[in-house]
Formats: sequence, C-alpha cells, structure tokens
Amino acid sequence: MTETGVLLQQVVNGLSLGAMYALLAIGFTLVYGILELINFAHFNVFMVASFIGMWALQLLGISGQSRVLTGLALAGSLGFAFVVTMAAAGVIGVVIERVSLRPLRGVGGTAGMITTIGVSYILFNVILLTVGAGSENYPNPLPVHRWQLGQVVVELKEVLIWAVSLILMAGLHIFVSRTRLGKAMRATAQDAEAARMMGVDVDRVVVTAFFLGSALAGAAALIFGLYYNYTSFIIGYTAGLRALTAAVLGGIGSIPGAMVGGLLIGLIETLGGQLIAVRWTDVIIFSILVLVLVFVPAGLFGRAAPTKS
Amino acid sequence: MAELEESPASAPARPMSGSRLRVATLPLVARIPPRVRSRLAVGLLALAALLFPLLHANDADIDSAANALAFAALALGLNIVVGFAGLLDLGYAAFFAIGAYAYGAAASFQLQPEWSSFWEPFHWLDLVARLPGPAGGDVVHFQVSFWLMLPISAALAALFGVLFGAPTLRLKGDYLAIVTLGFGEIVPIVARNMPAVTNGAMGLNGVAAPQLFGYSFGISATPYYYVGVGLVALLIVTSLRLKESRIGRAWMAIREDEIAAAAMGVNRVRYKLLAFAIGAAFAGATGTFYVAKLQTATPEMFMFPVSVMVLVMIVFGGIGSVWGVVVGALLLQMLQSWFLEDLSQWLHGLGRLIDVAWLRHVELASSIELIFGVILVVMMLYRRQGLIPATRPMPALSLDQQAAQIQRGGFATLPVISPQPSPETGSLLAISGLTVSFGGLVALREVGLVVPRHGVVAVIGPNGSGKSTLFNAVTGLVTPDRGSVVMAGREIVGLPPHRVLECGIARTFQNLRLFPNLTVLENVMIGMHARLASGAAGALLRLPRTRREEEEARERALAILALFGNRLVPRAEHLASSLSYANRRRTEIARALASNPTLLLLDEPTAGMNPAETLELAEQIKSLNNSGLTIVLIEHKLDVVVSLADQVVVLDHGEKIAEGRPETVRNDEEVIRAYLGRSAAFA
Repeated sequence: MTETGVLLQQVVNGLSLGAMYALLAIGFTLVYGILELINFAHFNVFMVASFIGMWALQLLGISGQSRVLTGLALAGSLGFAFVVTMAAAGVIGVVIERVSLRPLRGVGGTAGMITTIGVSYILFNVILLTVGAGSENYPNPLPVHRWQLGQVVVELKEVLIWAVSLILMAGLHIFVSRTRLGKAMRATAQDAEAARMMGVDVDRVVVTAFFLGSALAGAAALIFGLYYNYTSFIIGYTAGLRALTAAVLGGIGSIPGAMVGGLLIGLIETLGGQLIAVRWTDVIIFSILVLVLVFVPAGLFGRAAPTKS
Repeated sequence: MAELEESPASAPARPMSGSRLRVATLPLVARIPPRVRSRLAVGLLALAALLFPLLHANDADIDSAANALAFAALALGLNIVVGFAGLLDLGYAAFFAIGAYAYGAAASFQLQPEWSSFWEPFHWLDLVARLPGPAGGDVVHFQVSFWLMLPISAALAALFGVLFGAPTLRLKGDYLAIVTLGFGEIVPIVARNMPAVTNGAMGLNGVAAPQLFGYSFGISATPYYYVGVGLVALLIVTSLRLKESRIGRAWMAIREDEIAAAAMGVNRVRYKLLAFAIGAAFAGATGTFYVAKLQTATPEMFMFPVSVMVLVMIVFGGIGSVWGVVVGALLLQMLQSWFLEDLSQWLHGLGRLIDVAWLRHVELASSIELIFGVILVVMMLYRRQGLIPATRPMPALSLDQQAAQIQRGGFATLPVISPQPSPETGSLLAISGLTVSFGGLVALREVGLVVPRHGVVAVIGPNGSGKSTLFNAVTGLVTPDRGSVVMAGREIVGLPPHRVLECGIARTFQNLRLFPNLTVLENVMIGMHARLASGAAGALLRLPRTRREEEEARERALAILALFGNRLVPRAEHLASSLSYANRRRTEIARALASNPTLLLLDEPTAGMNPAETLELAEQIKSLNNSGLTIVLIEHKLDVVVSLADQVVVLDHGEKIAEGRPETVRNDEEVIRAYLGRSAAFA
C-alpha cells in the first residue's frame, strides 16, 4: 500500500471511530447544555451498555464471531440488540439522574460532578467484581464483506456503523427541532428559570436529556463491541475521555458540535497514531482538550464562553 | 471567639439557669475551656502518633501507617485547592508524580551522563558521584540528599502547578476539572513514554533511601513513619495558618462567590494560582517521600484512580476541614489495609462454618474502589460537610439577642470608617459616553454622570433600564464598549475589579452576593483584603506584624458590625447564609465599608426592608455621607431618594433621560412616562 493509501485507510477508520465518539459525545453535551454538569457517570454507562449489548446478542444464541447471519436474521438480531442496549442504557441514565443527581439540584459548586465520579466508580466496580477483569469476546453476527474502493478498503461493519450513527443523529435532530419536548429542551438549555416560568417541566426535560444521552451511549457501546470484537470493564475511561474531548472541541452544549467534534477526534486518533506514534495518541488528544479549553473555550460551535460564573 | 462571648452585647443573653444546669451535669471535660481542650487533644494526638511504633512494633503495620501518612499529606494538599479555593482538581496525582520522579531521577542509577568537568562543582557539593562507567569512561551518579530534594520537589511541583494553572484558571470550575483531568492523564503517559528518565512502565529501580547523620533508612518502616508524621504535622500547621489568614479568607471568598471576591479586592488569578502552587507543592514533597519509601516509581502509581482516591478522602473527611481530611485519609487507608482484610478473614471463617463457597473466597479488599464510589455518592447526598465539618454550628440566639432595637438618627459613632475627609471639592467620579452592549442589546448608551465629592447621587429608572449595568461597568465587572470612567483624576475603565476597589470604590449588590458559608465577621474581614498587607510568609511564620495586623483587622471588623447596633454583633460568628434578608443587606454594606472606600456604590440597599428598617438605613446612609463618604445609590423607593440625594439621574432603556434635583426630576414628564406609561404623563 502506498503512503497516501495508508492515510486514506486511516481516514476511513477514523470516521468509524469518530461516529462512535460523536454518539457518546452527544450524551455529555445534552446534559451539560441543560444542567451545566459534566457527567462523569456517562463514561461507565457506556461501558455497562457494551455488556448489555453482549448479553442481548448472546440471548439470541450468538457468541463469538463464528455464527454469521445474513438478511432478515441479521437485521432482526442487530435491531434487537440495538433496541435492548439503548433502552437499558437510557434507563440506567434516568435512574442515575433520579437517585443521585436530582436531590442535588440547586446545590452549587462541585457537588454534582463529585457525585457523578462516584456513580462512575460504582458502575465500573460492579462490572469488575461481577464479570471479572478479563476482556470478553464480543458476539458479532456480521459477515465479513470488504469492498475495495480505489486505495482503501471499506468493511460492512463500517458501513453499518455509519448508517446507524447517521440515522440516530438525524432522529435526534428531528426530535430536538420538531417536537414539543425538544423545544422545551432547547428552551431549558438557554434559560432554565425562564423555561420553568413558561410552564416547561424542567425535571422532565432533564430526564429526557439523560435518557437520550445514555441511549446514544448504548448505541455507541454496541458499535464499540462490533467494531473491536471485545469489551472489558476498562473501555469506558479512554473512550469516555475522548468523547468528552470531542464534546469540548465541538463546543460543549452544542449537538452539531458534538457530532463534528467526535468525527475530528476519531480522525485525530487514527491519523495521529499513523503519523506520530500510537503511544503518544492520548497525549495529543488531551493536549487538544487543554488547548481548546484555554484558547477557544467555546469550541467550534459553542455559543457562550464558559468563563462566566 | 472567646472575646466575643465575653462582650457585654452577648453575655446577658445566656440563660443562667440553663447554663448552671449544664455545668452541673456535663462531665469534667466540658468544663475545660475550649481552647485548652483543643490544645490538649492535639497534644494527645501527637503523643499517640509518636508512640505508635514503640507500642505496636509490627513492621508491616508501621509501613501501612507510613503509607497512610503519605496519603494524609496528599489530602491536605488537595484540600487547599478543592476545599479552600473551591477548584476541582481531578489530576492532582500529576504533581505527586512530578515530586516522585524528581527525587527518583536525582537519587538513582537511572540517569548516568558521561563525566565532564561541568560536574566538578556538583561533585564538590556531594550532589553527584563519579563512577566508572560500563563503557570505560567515567559517568555521573546523582546522589542528591533526600532532605534537600524535599523542598526542591515541592518547588518544582509548585512551578508545574503555576504552569498548568496559569492558562486555565480563568475557566469556569467544571472546565478546570476537565483540564486538570487532561493534565493528570498526560503526566503519567509522558513518564511511561520517556524511559530514558523514568525507565518507562518498568519503573525506576534502586532509588536511594534517605540518610540521616550517616545512618541510612534502608527498608525498615519506622524511620519513614516518623518522617511521615513530621511531614503531615508540618502540612497541618501550614494549612491551619493559611486558612486563618488573609490568604485563606481570599481563597474561601473565591470559592463562595468569585465575582463578589473580585469586587472586594481579591485578585482572583493570583490567589487561584497560589492555591494551585501550594497544593502542588504539598504533593511534590509527598511524592519525594513516597518514592524514597518505596524506592521505586512506576507510572501506574500516579494515574487517575490515585487522584480520585485523594478526592474521596477529602470528601469523606470534610471538604475544607483540615482535621477532617487528615482523619478521612487515615480512616480510608486503615479500612483498606487492615479492616477489610480482617473482615474478609472473618467472612472466610464464617463461610467455612456454614459451608458457603463464595463466603470462603470473598476478598473485600478488591471492592475498595466500589466503596470509594459509594462514599462519594452517599457523602454528597447526605453529608456534604463530611465527617468533621469545616464550620461548627453556632448555638441559636436568645430572645434578647434577637430583639433588635430600631436605631434612629443614623450611626452614633463613625470613627472606624475614617474616610479621610478631603478638602478637595469638585468631582470625585466622572463618567462620560459610557456604552455597554451584550450582543445586540445595548444596555447603556452614551451615559454621562458626574458625582461631586461628598455628594449623594441617586440613580433611578424602571427595571432593566441599565442601572446595575452602570455599577458593573464602573467596578470592572463588565467591560464597556466605549466611554470613560475617571475616579479621582484617574481613568479606571479596563481595570480589573480588584484594582477598582483599590482605587477606593466599594459596592453592594442588588441580588446580594455575600459569601454564604463564611461567618459574618469573615465576610467583613474579606472586605478589608485590599487594605491588609500580609502574605504567605507572614501567615506561615505568624510574624508579630501579621498577628498585630490580624488583631487590628478583627477589632475593626467588629467595630464596623457594631455600627448596626445589636443586629450583627451577636451574629458575628454565624454563617452569612443564616441571616435574615435585611441583615444580609447590612452585612454587605459593612463589608463594603471595611474596604475603607471613598466612594460607596449601593445597589438597592433598602430592597426587602420594612418601612421602619428603611428609614433606619436611610439615616445611616446619610450619616455615612456626613462623615465624608461619597455615595451613589440605586433605589426604587422615591421617599428614600428624595430624603438622601442631592442629585438624581434617571435611566430608561440604557439612556439618561433626566438629571437634576430630586424634586425637579420627580415632576419631569418623561420620567413619569418612563415609570408609569404614556397615559399617566398626559392624564
């Protein structure tokens, strides 16, 4: 393969990773937009969801990569896995909000963030102590199809990732821009107090944000498993931090920002790993995180500078 | 506050029969005065810490205790950043790593550059040794003393604290948390990827043990334990002294309300950096101690879980509470190394007894992180102040203390204010062409205003007319697009809020910005920030000058509180958040007066007060003016305006629509229209 070929191939890989980070980043952005809270629990909602997705597929009798499905069976089993994972992740998000964050509404300072760190730790260790520290072979019923497009190879699983991500993001966009609850969300994000006075049920908006964000994290988690063919209790931290970086890069609070930021982080990860060295990828990504916050804290699409108190 | 309890204002309030009963029934301990009691407690604690290795000669336990002390030291450092200054630092272990690798590199066989004459002076100072190298030529062996490296590591970590902090500290708190998380990730990765200095993931080997008077500490735990005790004691004293000082008050003001802190003269960036640097220095010194004790260092020792563990310790013990975080750290370490082990053993026994397989093999120690997570959530939900809260609850006031007397005729005694009545006349504050816009909304348009020395100017206008924006622009909280503000002959547009205060302008806020979790007295003393001079050295060493300054500041603050009769004095040690609305307004005025201003900006000082209280406060404002203070006030109550102001300025939609004597303005048609609508003006 030529050098440009390698780079183009890394662009394809980066788009797949980026789609996953974008889905995960939306969860940070939705919650931040409404509560001004960085939800560290999101990291491990993602991780737990990847196990739920695994169990859902195993429930259908699929284990490992040996059993390949096609046609309706494939679509049905993947559809089932996505629906179950997203619903379960959404419910976990709602429970977290209801139990640990709603009582803290109105308590300023660092209390909310510290609580989400605690919740994240609990999720992490529940999986570690019950499932164990090993990494699990992820069930994957996708047949291996490859298409040679010029210098790059595109796999079926990548096409699937792009399609699912596009559908989910389009759905989210329609929900936020067209529905009544979506309008209430946008109003609450701008000014929670005013929205409350205009009759918006802010608690319901917050629950919706947690449900949607966590459900998208669930989709990202299943994508992670299908893409890498494994899952483990530690996947939440790295992927979560990258998605958080993506949300910040795009402008935290902005949904299109999270999407673009996710794609950019995916590309930076694969191209940075190719051009510099994989062991420095994390340093590159966290440096971007720090540099964006320091020099363009509003990110690419953010509306307000986050320096206000 | 022993002095206050004996003051005549509060003494008669104590219900005699109740206190007699208490003295008779409570045990002997309660009869010892609190100050003596706390000294006794500290003495006993110190004695127990010193005797522990002698009474319990188990090397493994002493070793655990030494590790626990290292974490107590880290908790004390993070407490300065999170607890005092309110900055959530999620990458605190990075500074621990920096201190650890600094000593690791300076006292191991890792770095061995070739010998050259450059190293002669260091050799002479005994910092390096000359060894025959493997490749023939001589190499340098670093052997810097542990005792020398302790302060050097602290300084190095502090330097990194400033480097990391400087660009990020203007960010909002939660963004700062992400940036620190990023730095916390970067440092161990860099350590892993630079094997030349750190030996990468394999870890440093053969870090030299400390030596004292030629005796090497070796691998026995006891000497490390005593160094740990000394380190923690030093850091406790440092924390306590800083907390009680001007610096500590400035940190807590930033934590409670950054904007109000700036308006009261606190240089936010400087004090945040100071908190970051001192917190980092604690971690740096602790890192050196820890690596000397383990004699190795790997990147895994400094990852995110370590930062979280220290955070759990301070949340558990009590954020902002010095003794609390030490207790939190020690308890959690004990839980980890002793209690969970014992409990597991006990469960294994139980499992064998009742023949349950999983009970025989359960290892509770591996669930420590789960316990950490539960602690974080439970503490935040049910006990945010931690095991040992930073502030003690104050007893409720007696009826006598609560019954305030209305004072008429303004302040009786004003010597404490001493606003240097200046012989000069003419204008003190001159505003011209001031324009402020927020996005498309023009909040102020070409506003001009002259405040004569010793005058009282009232700014009135409907809600949203730009009155508070005018104050914000003058005090540097918003930056005007155009225009000039000249205070006593000096242009102040563009100055940060704390510099504006230093020019002699103090303000109150319409929506009250007291520091809610600080006492009334502390609130007022923060007002004095700019007029006091003590720095960190003075606070740490308790220099006579600093102590005198603190004593005078406290007396002056009490005298200012006493201006308001018995409304604030009995509550001096109460939290500002416990005050009534009217008393919060009074405390804000007292805080502003404490800065010794020449110009006082009062934003709706009588809002929320009843007519009697309003009259009382109006007369007090008048007497402030009579004593030489120049006053600008925003006020809706027109009788207050008429009784106080020499001159009235009317704003509407950000523009000045009228100006003049109160009675003239009152009849101005445009003013009536602005307030009451078009039909009222033409009725």
